[in-house]
Amino acid sequence: MNGTEQVIQRLAQDADVVRPLRTPWIRTGIWLSLSIPYVAIVLLAMAMRNGLPTLPLDTRFIIETVSGLGVGITAALCAFSSVVPAYSRRLFVVFAIFAGLWLGSIGQNCIQEWLRNGSQALSLSHDLSCLPFITLVSIYPAMALISMLRRGAPLTPHLTAAAGAIAAAGLANFALRIVFPEDANIGLLVWHIGGVFILAALTAAVGHWLLNWRFVAHASKNISR
Amino acid sequence: MEPTEDRKSDNRLGLLMRAAQGGDAEAYGALLHEMASLIRHVVYSKRPFLTPEDIEDLVQDVLLSVHSVRSTYNPNRPFMPWLLAIVRNRISDAARRYGRTRGRELRLENMDVTFSVESTNSLTESYGDAEALKLAIGSLPAAQRTAIEMLKLREMSLKEAARASGSSIGALKVATHRAIDSLRKKLTKKK
Repeated sequence: MNGTEQVIQRLAQDADVVRPLRTPWIRTGIWLSLSIPYVAIVLLAMAMRNGLPTLPLDTRFIIETVSGLGVGITAALCAFSSVVPAYSRRLFVVFAIFAGLWLGSIGQNCIQEWLRNGSQALSLSHDLSCLPFITLVSIYPAMALISMLRRGAPLTPHLTAAAGAIAAAGLANFALRIVFPEDANIGLLVWHIGGVFILAALTAAVGHWLLNWRFVAHASKNISR
Repeated sequence: MEPTEDRKSDNRLGLLMRAAQGGDAEAYGALLHEMASLIRHVVYSKRPFLTPEDIEDLVQDVLLSVHSVRSTYNPNRPFMPWLLAIVRNRISDAARRYGRTRGRELRLENMDVTFSVESTNSLTESYGDAEALKLAIGSLPAAQRTAIEMLKLREMSLKEAARASGSSIGALKVATHRAIDSLRKKLTKKK
């Protein structure tokens, strides 16, 4: 009996019942249902400390906030779809549209703010504290997402990890905008959006450590037991 | 319209995988056999320069990966694109692994276990003059000689030697170290 035949026999003996993975849409819903209560608790704690914010319900703010949330949700969808072999990559186009809308709306607000307030609008120091806040708020959603992604196939670990980080940080950024609904300026562009993409780049760099075939084999062994 | 052969085959494999996900070992065994020959064919067409052993290694690697992520197969979707996505990924991974490891390896046949150059061989391996060694040990101070005799010639443990000589373990260690040092100097000079 050759090696491949032995492998086949061993695997066939290990044919336990496995539940097919739910669709990326449902898994994104599950992830949101796990993450939103945590983010809400943090928001509540912040609101209790700083007082309830008055949300500027103008179109500009709504477009920016909703597109930011859209970036987070579509990034999660992309991450979940990227661990399913042969799943359509069309969701990445939807993600790119939301990302463009988000960047565009903040960019436009920055220009308007600059025209209104001159060089004052170019200050970076004001929003410096946002980066640690985004990191703190996104830790739990990121951990939940990574543990869910490990049940899939790590076909593109760097891309999946980057999408996962954008999802978690995007959600945190959305929370931050609700707590601090001030006008968009260059600081917001650098520390909020820059922060989200810095976290994504760092996570992507260690993607192959977070998601690899060893973890999947281990998880599958535990599930079948 | 009649479904094509490929479509029929895809449906059959999909049904087998659905049964395998339900815990049917027989269906899973049949599926693995069919997959093995498909994977072998794909690997050979993409990497015709690989040896049969390397191809089998890759086939096994893909089968193990498929087994690990069989929960990602959705029974309502086609089977072959799902399988081929995994095969392509594992082939690329193997190519990267090959680049990292074997690309930097140098195959050597019948390599000597040690080098023949004199300087690379230690004193204990090359020194063969037992008489000179005996004389050198005899010329050591009493404490060092006792330590060498007990620990090296009679192969006593440190505890046993300490009990027999009445010295402490620390003192024996120091005496042995010094004795070996002076023996090395004496015997190297003689050579």
